Amino acid sequence: MTDMRSEYAKTLVDLGKKNPSIVVLGADTTDSLKTSAFGKEFPNRFFNVGIAEGNLVSLSAGLAVSGKTAFASTYAIFLPGRAVDQIRNGIAYPSPPGKKGLNVKLVASHAGLSVGPDGGSHQQIEDIAIMRAIPNFRVFVPADTFAVTKLTQLMANEYGPFYMRMARSKTPVIHSASQEFQTGKGITVREGTDCTIAACGITVRMALEAAESLQNEGISCRVLDMFSVKPIDSDILEKAARETGCIVTCEEHNIYGGMGSAVTEAVSELYPVPIKRIGAQDMFGESARDNEVPLLLEKHGITSFNMIRQVKELRSKL
Amino acid sequence: MGLNYYTIKKNILEARKLVIRATNIAGSGHPGGSFSMAEILGCLFYKHLKYDSKNPAWVDRDRLVLSKGHASPGLFSNMALAGYFPESELDTLRKFGSQLQGHPDLKCPGVEFCGGSLGTGLSYSIGMALAGRIDDKNYHVYTIMGDGESDEGQVWEAAMTAAKYKVDNITAFLDRNFIQQDSYTEKIMPLDDYLEGTDLSEMWKDASRWKTGDKWRSFGWNVIEIDGHRIEQIDAAITKAKATKGAPTIIISRTIKGKGVEHMEDNPQWHGKAPDSDVVPIINQELESQFMIAPSIIAGDMSNLTNEVKRCISGRADYIHLDVMDGQFVPNKTFDHVKIKELRPLTVIPFDTHLMINEPIKHIHDYVDAGSDIITVHAEVCDESSFGEIHDILKKNQVSLGLAINPDTDLPYWSYKFLSSLDQLIVMSVVPGKSGQKYIEDTHEKMNRLKPILKDHHFSGFIEADGGVTLDNIGSVFMDGARAFVGGSAIIGQKDVRSTIRQFRNEIMRARRKTLLDKANQLGGSKLVMKWIELHVVGETQDQIKKIAQEAGYI
Repeated sequence: MTDMRSEYAKTLVDLGKKNPSIVVLGADTTDSLKTSAFGKEFPNRFFNVGIAEGNLVSLSAGLAVSGKTAFASTYAIFLPGRAVDQIRNGIAYPSPPGKKGLNVKLVASHAGLSVGPDGGSHQQIEDIAIMRAIPNFRVFVPADTFAVTKLTQLMANEYGPFYMRMARSKTPVIHSASQEFQTGKGITVREGTDCTIAACGITVRMALEAAESLQNEGISCRVLDMFSVKPIDSDILEKAARETGCIVTCEEHNIYGGMGSAVTEAVSELYPVPIKRIGAQDMFGESARDNEVPLLLEKHGITSFNMIRQVKELRSKL
Repeated sequence: MGLNYYTIKKNILEARKLVIRATNIAGSGHPGGSFSMAEILGCLFYKHLKYDSKNPAWVDRDRLVLSKGHASPGLFSNMALAGYFPESELDTLRKFGSQLQGHPDLKCPGVEFCGGSLGTGLSYSIGMALAGRIDDKNYHVYTIMGDGESDEGQVWEAAMTAAKYKVDNITAFLDRNFIQQDSYTEKIMPLDDYLEGTDLSEMWKDASRWKTGDKWRSFGWNVIEIDGHRIEQIDAAITKAKATKGAPTIIISRTIKGKGVEHMEDNPQWHGKAPDSDVVPIINQELESQFMIAPSIIAGDMSNLTNEVKRCISGRADYIHLDVMDGQFVPNKTFDHVKIKELRPLTVIPFDTHLMINEPIKHIHDYVDAGSDIITVHAEVCDESSFGEIHDILKKNQVSLGLAINPDTDLPYWSYKFLSSLDQLIVMSVVPGKSGQKYIEDTHEKMNRLKPILKDHHFSGFIEADGGVTLDNIGSVFMDGARAFVGGSAIIGQKDVRSTIRQFRNEIMRARRKTLLDKANQLGGSKLVMKWIELHVVGETQDQIKKIAQEAGYI
């Protein structure tokens, strides 16, 4: 188990050494997000604006329009959740000639229900929907720390606005260090022919566990890591639809507007097959101590057990 | 270096006219807030801002962020004048496919900020300023904010951030026009103090109620408070701001929404409304009818000119007219450049130096160095070559160029070639040399004779009336075309300079209102006259204008 935030911050420091245009901004959560390490290394390229998320976003835009690659981070609930106007009108909309949006990377930690003890007020289950709806933004949900490193590097090198949502708690390793990540390309983490589970973030591990159990029952389940929620990989989805006949999606996000919606939209246009979306069923989360987070997730059906059940139900209708 | 006064002034006038044209064609837009910041933009574009309109992305350019983005017509009109795009493009404002969007947009090269959502521009500007610091660049970031915009909490988040990081390569302007969309700011969300009635002038009377500056000071900013329609005050404030190190500066500029067009002034209706086509020509004439009052201090106590200058300051003079006489060109002697230099630190009000001296070319540098902003020389003691030289010296030093002719002198032929770049023409209405003379009535006829010549040679400067101007004749002198008025004994000779200047202004206003009614009547008869009158809804102006129209028999 490794920690996404530490990995993110470490990668920023590495990038900062090579690329002097990188600046990092935080909003009184820089210790929590570990980005204060960047500030220690590069004090003149690090800005802590206090508890002022709108300010955080607009300031990043001003740095970016002046040639900087700006990484702005805080908790998910305060980034898309609070500063959507500044994000929309300040980063996504302004497009210098020949470009789309400004070069700002919004990286949020503490996304989804797994935030745990802080409760429903802090469990952002709408951010993917918000960010997906804003033109020019690309949206990533890494499943492990390898993904965090690679995607942070990718964002530093690719011009334009990105949103990356990370989980609070430590995550198991899914990928290998050699795994490649490309914008708009999903990853097949397990092959399968009878059904597909599309997952992102912490649910990729659950999907692999579900596929393992299904295998024991003779059902071959494909697992996709749809870390690039926008742009979504239509090719990998169409292929999965054609070859496996049904898809279950699972994410720690509201079922409206999240990765499940993105998958459904793509599949319904290209090769419609039955789909079941697992996620918060249009209801908010609540407090759960760290060891109770599985109970909270279970309440919303975000478990490998529920994935298995939904796969079977979908297959029974085929 | 002079103020570049007339160049700035002329461009401000052109920009205002373009705002009217563009919003009229677009059928919507925000003239009110464009006009309240017109002088601020004028001082930036034609004096302080570093830019290259042919290379908008020049990395060392200063950045201009219009945080109050709805005032985009004001920004776009100046960008057109500065050469970013042709003036004709303003006709596409707010139209489908235009780079001139309803709010400023990076689509248009040279625009630095996508405005529209209020309260974010200052944070963005700080980002730009910090980037400049990281990159060791010398550019300066200028940000224009609205007072209604200050309701947004993010403005104050940004204020704290700029102070924390000691961002001194940023200068913010608060366009303090006291009006936001719904009503007066002090009714909707007071920055100074709650306004009980509906008389905005209440807010100006008692300085103890002004709290905006205190707010910014308490946030750690260097605060400069000015009249935001006074070019010289804006210029001085910018100079001071740029010299301030270790803290950001905000220039709180008290302005009038819709400034320049009486029916738009202080009228919340004109926050976001375009003028109708039938009144556009009248509005344009009104814009061209701005005027300046210039007390001539030699009419005061010559033994205490310092005090005379101070009386001009407290009287709110537009210029201070300085008659330099050498005892040769005219029999009297007054003072020379040494005296002017001595008086200069007393005020930033433009010094309007009138050289009644022989061979001005020999002395012109002294008067530039003394701190004159406008220098007028006499046609009688110049020729094409010497005036050409004076022309070049003054333009190079951003001093406005004036030419004066005596009552019995006609505009010499050699001067025609300079008329298009001449800033000021003084048509003397007394024999120069001493104050207290009577206005020579033939001057009216002379002014009318001059008009076609000036028009044919593209004179775009201001005519200054000098000599015998009084409350009784100032209206007719205005109608002759004069826009600057020198007052000797009639102003500076009076006990209360301030109320005298106010009386002069009122008389000119009366004449101006009459000429605008003439125009309305000529264009559209009593119907347009009535429409024009009914546009004036603030205070008692409507009744006053109606009375003038009735007296003229228009209604």
